[in-house]
Amino acid sequence: MTTESVVLRADRLTRTVETPSGRKSIVVNFSFEFQRGAIYSIIGPSGAGKSSLLRLFNRLDPLGEGEVFFNGNSTREIDPCKLRCCVGYLFQTAHLFPETIEDNIRYSSGKLSSEEIAELADAVEIKRDRLSESIKNLSVGEGQRVALARLLATRPAIALLDEPTSALDPGRTQAIERLVKKIVAERRLTAIVVSHDTHQARRLGGDILLMVDGRLVESGPPEQLLDNPATELGQKFLRGELR
Amino acid sequence: MTSPGLQEVLISLALVAIAIAVTRYWKLPVVKDMAVGSVRAFIQLIAVGYALHFIFDLENPWLIHLAIAIMVTVGAHASASRMNGLKGAFPLALVSIMIGSMTTLGSMLALQIINFEARYIIPLAGMIIGNSMNVSALAVDRLTSDIRGNRLAIETSLALGKSWRVAVLDFQKAAARAGMMSILNFMKTVGIVALPGAMTGMILGGAEPLDAVYLQLIVAYMLLAANAITSVVAVELTVWKFFTKNHQLKREV
Repeated sequence: MTTESVVLRADRLTRTVETPSGRKSIVVNFSFEFQRGAIYSIIGPSGAGKSSLLRLFNRLDPLGEGEVFFNGNSTREIDPCKLRCCVGYLFQTAHLFPETIEDNIRYSSGKLSSEEIAELADAVEIKRDRLSESIKNLSVGEGQRVALARLLATRPAIALLDEPTSALDPGRTQAIERLVKKIVAERRLTAIVVSHDTHQARRLGGDILLMVDGRLVESGPPEQLLDNPATELGQKFLRGELR
Repeated sequence: MTSPGLQEVLISLALVAIAIAVTRYWKLPVVKDMAVGSVRAFIQLIAVGYALHFIFDLENPWLIHLAIAIMVTVGAHASASRMNGLKGAFPLALVSIMIGSMTTLGSMLALQIINFEARYIIPLAGMIIGNSMNVSALAVDRLTSDIRGNRLAIETSLALGKSWRVAVLDFQKAAARAGMMSILNFMKTVGIVALPGAMTGMILGGAEPLDAVYLQLIVAYMLLAANAITSVVAVELTVWKFFTKNHQLKREV
């Protein structure tokens, strides 16, 4: 693999936070290279540091020790606002701003033309004639799709998706998964999806990273990590022994 | 009516007795608070009366500064205790009240609206600082509640590449406005719903109504300026506490 194909590289990333019971490391010595145009699923038990890791990738939280490189440049050297346009983040629950779907997509970038907004609506499979609709009329799943269109409006190279389907029913969950795969294929985007669901990670199809207690335990394609995990922690997680 | 003396004050305690009788009849659990409050107000105000008499007689600039410093410090302490558990609330309240009140008082001196005499400076400083104390507490309380309750909205903006200023601006404006609501409402209804304190005091003291109105207008404009400055400064200092220079919303403030 060439270095040009690496879009994001984490190098010995460690984040420690103050908690009422003292200092706690929520991400420990995490190193990994993410390739351009690929899907990754980060799985692990609750509190494994999956979401905390995503927040370090676009510097929503302060970097502790270690480095993150975006296109070969340390993210410490990149203006955080510019970095976040390139490394987008979709929250578990979408927050939509008033008033319409179009207003939300336009929020990311005021320079978008009406045609570009319509194309973004197409990308997330929202009908063009609904763009002037109030966000109050949207279901949770539609809200996530609008938030995804809003994220795509900054033309990111990476989309960090933090449990984007946790509030959705199985039908809508699979619709979002299909959408993510389509967008990755069409836009040569890298999607890093945090999930607690191993079935979802398998359906998404890309490499899977298993995190436990802030550490990367193992990584690999679904058939390796989910069917034949190499580590004892991986086996325990799949048997449901890690909560 | 002549200027009231201690005898009239003691007779007016009959009003306190009526208030206590009414609340006792309705079994409201405030009788003790009313009795203690009345005694406390008596002691505090008599003490302040003697202190002001002493300061006015001496007319010493250092003493005036000291009196203002004490008022600002006590006001900041009271304001900080109502700031929603914000860390570092006292210095924040102190700076915002000081800037709001000193800018206003300084402008009034520079424009020669008042003279640097204890008789003018101290009562006006008291009014300004008392108002600024409430304004800073209200504005900061509103802003901290809004930021803590809207983390997702703010972080959504940040995650879309917006600066912290853009992400928090609406909350900042709402908080600054909340701090100023009291004076804005006062100015809407002044003279229509009730006659304000300074004007009432002057009229009761025998001044011409129009003279009392002029003073009241100066007081109203003075409080408006002090409130606006205090509110904006308090909100600005508060918002700095919540964000890092890398446009990150801190977890605990």
